[in-house]
Amino acid sequence: MDELLQALVQGFFVGSAYGLLALGMGLVYGVSGIVNFAHGDFVSLGMYLCFAFFTAFALDPYVSVVFTVPIMIALGALVYRFLIKPIAGRQLLMVIQLTLGVALLIQNGLMMVFGGQPTRAPSMIESKLFLVGDVVIRGAHLVACVVSFALAILLYVMLQSTDTGRAIRAVQQEPRAAALMGVDVGRVQVMTFAIGVGVLAIAAALLLPGLPIQPTQGLRFTVITLLVFVLGGMTNFVAIMLGGIVIGVAEAIGTIYMTHTLGQLLPYLIFVAIMLFRPQGLVWRS
Amino acid sequence: MRPDFWPALRSPIPWALLALAATMPFLLPNYYLHILTITLVYAALASAWNIVGGIAGQISLAHSLFVGAGAMLASALLVKLGINMWLGMVIAAAASAAMGAAVSFIDYRFRLGHLSFALITMAFAEMAEIYVTNTEFLGGASGLFLPKDKGDLLAFQFGGISGVYWIMLGMAALCVVVNFAILSSPLGYNLRSIRDNENAAQAIGVGLLRNKTLAMTISAVLTSIVGTIYARYLAFVDPYLLVSPVLTIEIVLFATVGGLGTALGPAVGAILLAPLGEILRGHLGGFLPGLHYFVYGLVVVGVILLMPAGVWPSIRARFTRKNAQEAKAS
Amino acid sequence: MLEMQGVTAGYDGVPVLRDVSVNVARGELVGLLGANNAGKSTLINVVSGTVPIMSGRLMFEGEDISKTSAQDRVELGLVQVPEGRLVFPQMSVRENLLLGGYNRKARPARAGNMDHVISLFPRLGERLGQLAGTLSGGEQQMVAIGRGMMAGARVLMLDEPSLGLSPLFVQFIFEIIDKLHAEGMTILLVEQNLSLTVRHADRCYVLERGVVAVEGASAAVAEDPRTRAAYLGM
Repeated sequence: MDELLQALVQGFFVGSAYGLLALGMGLVYGVSGIVNFAHGDFVSLGMYLCFAFFTAFALDPYVSVVFTVPIMIALGALVYRFLIKPIAGRQLLMVIQLTLGVALLIQNGLMMVFGGQPTRAPSMIESKLFLVGDVVIRGAHLVACVVSFALAILLYVMLQSTDTGRAIRAVQQEPRAAALMGVDVGRVQVMTFAIGVGVLAIAAALLLPGLPIQPTQGLRFTVITLLVFVLGGMTNFVAIMLGGIVIGVAEAIGTIYMTHTLGQLLPYLIFVAIMLFRPQGLVWRS
Repeated sequence: MRPDFWPALRSPIPWALLALAATMPFLLPNYYLHILTITLVYAALASAWNIVGGIAGQISLAHSLFVGAGAMLASALLVKLGINMWLGMVIAAAASAAMGAAVSFIDYRFRLGHLSFALITMAFAEMAEIYVTNTEFLGGASGLFLPKDKGDLLAFQFGGISGVYWIMLGMAALCVVVNFAILSSPLGYNLRSIRDNENAAQAIGVGLLRNKTLAMTISAVLTSIVGTIYARYLAFVDPYLLVSPVLTIEIVLFATVGGLGTALGPAVGAILLAPLGEILRGHLGGFLPGLHYFVYGLVVVGVILLMPAGVWPSIRARFTRKNAQEAKAS
Repeated sequence: MLEMQGVTAGYDGVPVLRDVSVNVARGELVGLLGANNAGKSTLINVVSGTVPIMSGRLMFEGEDISKTSAQDRVELGLVQVPEGRLVFPQMSVRENLLLGGYNRKARPARAGNMDHVISLFPRLGERLGQLAGTLSGGEQQMVAIGRGMMAGARVLMLDEPSLGLSPLFVQFIFEIIDKLHAEGMTILLVEQNLSLTVRHADRCYVLERGVVAVEGASAAVAEDPRTRAAYLGM
C-alpha cells in the first residue's frame, strides 16, 4: 500500500514535468502544425547547457536557467526561421525528417563537445528529502512539480488574456483571418516555436537533479513527450498536463508492480490504446 | 508491368555495374570491402523501406521490428534451438510478414492519418526494443554470438566477407529491382494514388487494405532477410544496434536524401552516405565520437532544404535536361 | 482615397486580374459585382496584400503601397471582412473583437471602438462571453464586421457579407452597411447580389473574367446590358 502511494506521488511529481515538456510541443503543433522530433534533443541540450555552466562557473542548474532560457529561445527562433519555415506547409514527412536531421545534429554535436560518457550536473537540493506520513518526497521532484504547474498556469493565462496570447490562438484557429487582422502569422510561428524551446530549457533544469545525462538520451524524451502530447489530445492544455501525470504514474507503477518488461512497456501500451481508441485524447469537449 | 520495365532490365548498363561491383572482393582490401558490405546492407534496407515509406507514403518507423526479427529471431533459433539458419531466415521472414500485415491492418481498421501512423509505428519500435532486451530467448540485453563462419553454405555460412558481400550485392539488387517492378505495375499506381490522396484512391476503387498490406508485407520480408544476412555477417547480434529505433531513422534518412518514391533514390542515398559515415567513424570516431551522425544530420537538413525531392531526382533532372539541350543543338 | 492602377495579379504566376483599374473616393460606398470566379475576391486580397501584384500600382491616399506588407496595410486602415466570416471559433465574441484591434494603431482606441460596435450590434453586446463558433451565421457576420471596425478601418472591404444568410439578416446587414456609410466610412463591397448592391452603392464595378467590364453610377450599371452579359458569362 505504501509502495503504491509512493509510486503515485512520485509519478505525479515527475509526470507534471512531462506535462510541461508536452505543453511546448502542443503549443507549436497548434500554431504551425509541426511535430518536432528533435524535441527531446532540445531538452538534452538544455541539460548540457546547465552542465556546462556547472563545470565552468559551478552554477546550480536552477540558477543556470537564467542563462539557458534566453539561449534556447534564440536557438529555437533561428531553427524555425532558417530550417523549418522554408519547408513548413509541405508534406508532413518532410518536416518530420528535417527535425530528425536537427535531432542528429544536436545529439552528436553534444557527443562531440561533451563525449558520450554519462555525466551529472548536481544541484544543492537534489539530496533533500521530505517525509510526509510514510511517503518520501524528493526536493527536486517537489520543485519540478511546483514550477511545472506554475509555468503551465502562467502560459495559460498568457494565452487567454494578453494580446500576444490571443494572436497565438487566433493563428491556431483561423490563420487567414488572423493575417487579415494585422497579425504577422510568420512572426507568431517563430515566436511560439521559440517559446516552446525556451520552456524546454526550464523543463531540462527541473528534470536534471539526480539524473545521469547522456547525449543519446534525446530520443527517449521525444518519445515521452509524444506519448503525453497524444494522450492530451495534442492542443488542450489541461489535458496535456493530465496526460503527463498519467504517463508519470504509469511509469512509476509499472516499475514497481509489474514484471520488469511489462512495467517498461506500460506507457507505450497506454499510448497505443489511446491512439487507436481515443484519437482525440483522454479529455474531450462535450 | 509497364512496357519499359523489361527493356530496362535488358539494358547493359545495370548488368555491367553489377558485374563491376561483383569483382570488388578481388580488388579491395578487407577494410574497404567491409565498408561496401555495410553500404549494401543500408542500400537494401533503404530500398525495402521505400516500398512503404516512399512509394506508398506511409511513414513507417517500425522497420527495426523487421530487421530485428530477421537478425535476433533467426540467430536465437540457431543458437538456442539449433535450427538451421536458412530455415530460421524463412521463419523470421514469415514472422515479419505477419507483423507487417498486422501493422497494416491496424492502420486500415483505425484509419490512422500519416502522423498517427508514424507515432504508432514509433511506439511499436520502442516496445520491440524493450521486449527484446528483456527476453532471454532472444539474447536479452547482452545479445547473441553466432558460431564461427566455416563457409558451410548449407548452414548459412558464406565463408567470410567476400561471400557475404556477394550475397548482399544480390540482395540489394533484388530490393532495387522489386522497387522498379512495383513502380511499373498496377500495385505501384495504386500505392502512389494512396500516397497522394487516400480518400480519392478509395473512391476510384483502390483497395486500401489489400494494397497497403501487400506493400508492407513485401517490404517486411525483404527487410527481415537483409536482417538475417547482416546478423550472420556481424556474428554478434546486438539488440541496441539491430532493434533500435535509431536504425529505422537512419534508413529513413538515407531514403530521403536519395529520393523518396524513386526506385534508385534510396540506394543512391545509402551509397552516398553510408561509406562517408563508416569512414568518418573509422578514422575520427576515436577522438570525435558522433561526428559521422553529425555529418548525416547536416546532409539531411541541407538536402531537404536545397533539393526537397532528393539527390537522385535532382541528378536525373539535370541529366535529362542536358540530353534534351544536346538533342536540340544537334 | 484608394486607387488601383492597371493592376495585373494572380496566384503562382497565373494572372487572375488583368489590367484592372478601380478607385474608391473618401466616404464612398463602391460595389464590386460579378459572377463566380470573376476575380472579385482576388481584387480585395490584392488590396489587403495577400495576393501579390505582378504589374500596375496600388495607391492609398496618394502613396504607392504596392510593396507594403499585409500587416502594415491593416495599420493604414485597409481592413477586409473575409468571405465566410472566418471568426475565431474557440474565442468569445469579446476576444474576437479585441483581436480585431490587435494592430498597434488600433490598440489605444479599443474601448471606444468596442462601444461603437456594440451600439451598432446590440445583439453582440448581449453575447460578449459566448464562443463565436456557437453563434448563428448572421451573428458571426456581425462579429466579422465588428472585428473589422475594431481594426480601425478607414476603408472597410466586405467580401460577400450576405452569403448564406437568411433574407431578414441580409436586410439587417445592408442596413448596417448604410449606417456605416452614413457615418462617413469608405466601403468596398464585394457582392454577387446585383439588385441589392446597386440599391445601396454609390458606384459599381462589374468584373468579368478578371477585367472590368462595366463601371459607373449604380443606376447606370444596373441598366447597362453589358452587366447582364457579364453575369451570364456571354
